[in-house]
Amino acid sequence: MSQAADLVEQVVAALGRLTELGETIEAEWTYVHDLEMVWTARLRAVAGAGPADSAMPAVPPAELEAAIGRLVDEAGRVTDPHRAIDWLSTLPQATLVALGEAAW
Amino acid sequence: MRFQDAAKDARAVVYAGIQADPLVARAAQLLADATAAQRVLARAAMNGESSEPDAWRTMFPTLFGTAAAAPGSPERERSEAILAASLAVAGRGEQVRSQLRGAIVESLTEQLLARRVPASSIRRERRILFDGMSAEIHPYDVTVETPGGPAEAYDCKWGARGISADVLHQLDDARTRAAAEGERLLTVLVIFDARRSCEVRLARHTAPRAGTRLVALESLDRLAGRRAEPAP
Repeated sequence: MSQAADLVEQVVAALGRLTELGETIEAEWTYVHDLEMVWTARLRAVAGAGPADSAMPAVPPAELEAAIGRLVDEAGRVTDPHRAIDWLSTLPQATLVALGEAAW
Repeated sequence: MRFQDAAKDARAVVYAGIQADPLVARAAQLLADATAAQRVLARAAMNGESSEPDAWRTMFPTLFGTAAAAPGSPERERSEAILAASLAVAGRGEQVRSQLRGAIVESLTEQLLARRVPASSIRRERRILFDGMSAEIHPYDVTVETPGGPAEAYDCKWGARGISADVLHQLDDARTRAAAEGERLLTVLVIFDARRSCEVRLARHTAPRAGTRLVALESLDRLAGRRAEPAP
């Protein structure tokens, strides 16, 4: 598994934990799961596509690993289900920025 | 169709205090000139739990790492300023931070619009009145009112979750009523969140949306008449 794929799977696992928290808002159950599904697909597509064809200088692997680790840790600090729903959208965008991809 | 200031009720008075907070104008000014990545940083830090700047610098290596713009460069200084402003917002406590974030999106919308239309035509907290119709309950966050020209009405939200059937109906009703009076009203949702999340939210609603434009995080610069930043 490539470094990007490995790191993305850490984020996907964090999205799963945010989903568990966010789905406790009953009215948002479907929305929460739909968010998890579309962002997981987007992240895995990026990881599977290989390095971004980007004009930006590549982030050194150690910095990228630290960034994703810290983002996952930040997501793990969320205990409020409403904020978890916000982070279901925010975490993938921040991850994509770290990977040098467009955040959408 | 005519515009009118919203009633100065208790909610309006409290919210006016939030809008007047210098931190709102400061953050909006920084975000108006920001890159897409810097806007994502703002969204994350204002949404986050950590208050230590170094934690966020680690999370955003393309803005603060060895591959980022050099320390001291305007780009790097802006990233630092956005981080500081965002953490100041996050540090205000849950309820106030939520109000500040909403006010920042409104102020950002106003600032970007002012790059395309005369500032004097941009108004805040306005109702739109139509003949024979009762006034809408919620005022529009931002409007562009040009005598003799097409009008614009903006509803601004911090996140995709703020998109509701009520909002979609109000925007669509206003647009269709304006058309019935022979006027043109452009209705726009401005969401400080990725279009992907907005589309997920919109897919859950049956409320009309075809006539309402969506400006998401990646396309904010279109408010200023500029093309969205290309993907890196």
